[in-house]
Amino acid sequence: MAPKEILKIENLTTYFYTWAGVVKAVDGVSLDVREGETLGLVGESGSGKSVTALSILRIVPRPGKIIDGKIIYKGENLLAKTENEMQQIRGKEIAYISQDPATSLNPVFSIADQLTEVIRRHQNVTKEEALKKAIELFRLVEIADPEIKIWNYPHQLSGGMKQRIAIARALSCQPSLLLADEPTTNLDVTIQAQILELMKNLKKKLGMSMILITHDMGVVAGVADRINVMYAGRVCEVASTKTIFRNPLHPYTRALLEAVPNVAMKREKLKIIPGAIPNLISPPSGCRFHPRCDFAVAECASVVPPLVEIEPEHYVACIRAKEFMENGKGVKK
Amino acid sequence: MPSKTEGFHAIRSKILHIAKSSMTKYVLRRLLYLIPLFFGILIIVFVATRMAGDPVKLMTGLNPRITAEARERLTQYYGLDQPLYYQFLKFVWEMLQGNLGNSYAIRGGTPVTTLVGDYAWETFKLQLTALSFSLLIAIPIGILSARKQYSKLDMTVTTTSLVGTCIPIFYMGIVAILIFSYFLGWFPYGAAHSLDPSRYPFGSYIMDELWHLFLPAVVLTFAELAPVVLLVRSSMLEVLRQDYILAARASGLSERTVIYKHALRNALIPVVTYVGLYFGGMLAGAPITEKVFNWPGVGRLYVEAIGKLDFPVITGITVFVTLMVLFANLITDIAYAYIDPRIRIE
Ligand SMILES: Nc1ncnc2c1ncn2[C@@H]1O[C@H](COP(=O)(O)OP(=O)(O)OP(=O)(O)O)[C@@H](O)[C@H]1O
Ligand SMILES: [Mg+2]
Repeated sequence: MAPKEILKIENLTTYFYTWAGVVKAVDGVSLDVREGETLGLVGESGSGKSVTALSILRIVPRPGKIIDGKIIYKGENLLAKTENEMQQIRGKEIAYISQDPATSLNPVFSIADQLTEVIRRHQNVTKEEALKKAIELFRLVEIADPEIKIWNYPHQLSGGMKQRIAIARALSCQPSLLLADEPTTNLDVTIQAQILELMKNLKKKLGMSMILITHDMGVVAGVADRINVMYAGRVCEVASTKTIFRNPLHPYTRALLEAVPNVAMKREKLKIIPGAIPNLISPPSGCRFHPRCDFAVAECASVVPPLVEIEPEHYVACIRAKEFMENGKGVKK
Repeated sequence: MPSKTEGFHAIRSKILHIAKSSMTKYVLRRLLYLIPLFFGILIIVFVATRMAGDPVKLMTGLNPRITAEARERLTQYYGLDQPLYYQFLKFVWEMLQGNLGNSYAIRGGTPVTTLVGDYAWETFKLQLTALSFSLLIAIPIGILSARKQYSKLDMTVTTTSLVGTCIPIFYMGIVAILIFSYFLGWFPYGAAHSLDPSRYPFGSYIMDELWHLFLPAVVLTFAELAPVVLLVRSSMLEVLRQDYILAARASGLSERTVIYKHALRNALIPVVTYVGLYFGGMLAGAPITEKVFNWPGVGRLYVEAIGKLDFPVITGITVFVTLMVLFANLITDIAYAYIDPRIRIE
């Protein structure tokens, strides 16, 4: 039996209409999140991970616009909903944790204010009850002295604390799906591990599904069930975490993995991916990765590779995927 | 053992108490810092005016029959023969008793306090009306413009405001007088009152005041509107880009809460600075506006007093304006602390 999907995105297309031209930030992305799983959304900076998350909530900032696709959440297309209906879904059904804890809390309101506000928006409770709930949430995200800390303002708290609070706010109405946009990128390494551990536990405790966005392969390895690799606004490869690490087929995924520092790596040099992510106003034709790809052939510049299931549950968007599959790392040129 | 909620309420009230008293301390500290500043400014102006020239020479210069002895007596009468430090200390001593001296030139020595009181009221009336209206109009327009960045509405607002800031106020004032007073005859040419009560509209003094106030207030409002619109717009745009706005939207808050609670409070911080700074210049009376509309305000009085080397009036107005500017500063600081908790707590 196929696992049930809580979220299914089909052909999502989100463009930014800037003065310089149309930025094709997300260009035909399809992905799905299964009930109870953590999907890792991985890719370099600028590959469209955040824009994908914001598109799901339909809060893409101007001049961005979702121009095509379907976002099916629990069987209903979010793109067909009204703004009012979406407000009922945001924070309550689907919650979002943004990239930078330092800036995701409003500096001029107390934490109590910012937490109770969300609770009262989605639940029919009094101020005092909301406050009690907020304090409970503080306990949930393991903050000491919740009764005191809750009256603080953001500038009085450390980065790790702020991220815990951002998590508390996101979880305040028991969402079914959590979109965590690089929740640990801007934190110290030790704090990173704590926060990841916390999120993992909370996810289990609350039975949520989660999309974990990151550009760090190391982060997803420990947390995600499946991984979705994005490059320049498109999906390159989807598979279980195990498969991605053991048998990556897309050259971009391979390059990403080789760029991860690793203790086992002894004297081998850490590889970097040559070049930079392309300009998304006029992206390369065909496969968007081909100008940086070691394995590119002439055809790559003209054919947009479709995402095909190369083995069960393993999808790759590369015309040479089959060769890689059969010959392992032996493929050259 | 107290229940959880009781403990919680106790802690809450304790923290509120601390926040309040820290605010009091903050205000007191600001006040203490203002006192030396006030005297510093006073010394500079006092010395500078007294180096500008000799008022007795100016008063008697056109009188060919005046004797050197009479001049001497006048100088003595005004106390200008005393050493500067003595004059200053005497001035400060009298100021502390509420006496700012008498004018050399106006109506046989009118007390400066009376003069400043009368003229300042007119300045306040005009400037506060214009400032209130311009803020009331500019803030919503600026917000709307920012929310609809690059739309036709935004383009119109931005262009109009830019043009608006470029038109000098005396030009706008003269054009307004030309159209509405000269051609249409709807409003008076200037001044704050009709001299003749029989000319009061509907025989009402209040109506007469409003009738005189209308044109200069409208012109000033428009002059002040444009920069505030641009400031609110750019400040709002900056804030709307912030992560916490995205996070607020992502929590399902209504657009109204996002804009008028989360964004506005932050966007107002630079506006408070602007208004605070502006307030100083405004109380100095915006001499140009007052000149164009022949408005009996502090600005006009100041310019006239300088022309006549009327020392007590110059110093008196300086004292008044300085106090007001410092007061405005204090209010600004308090407004800051109210809006932004990062300032409240060191
Ligand atoms: N407001 C905007 N205006 C114009 N272009 C934008 C805007 N926001 C994002 N983009 C473009 O969309 C593309 C994808 O951006 P996105 O933020 O989704 O990247 P990301 O994968 O989240 O990267 P990062 O790891 O840096 O967060 C980028 O090329 C970016 O330039
Ligand atoms: Mg991002």
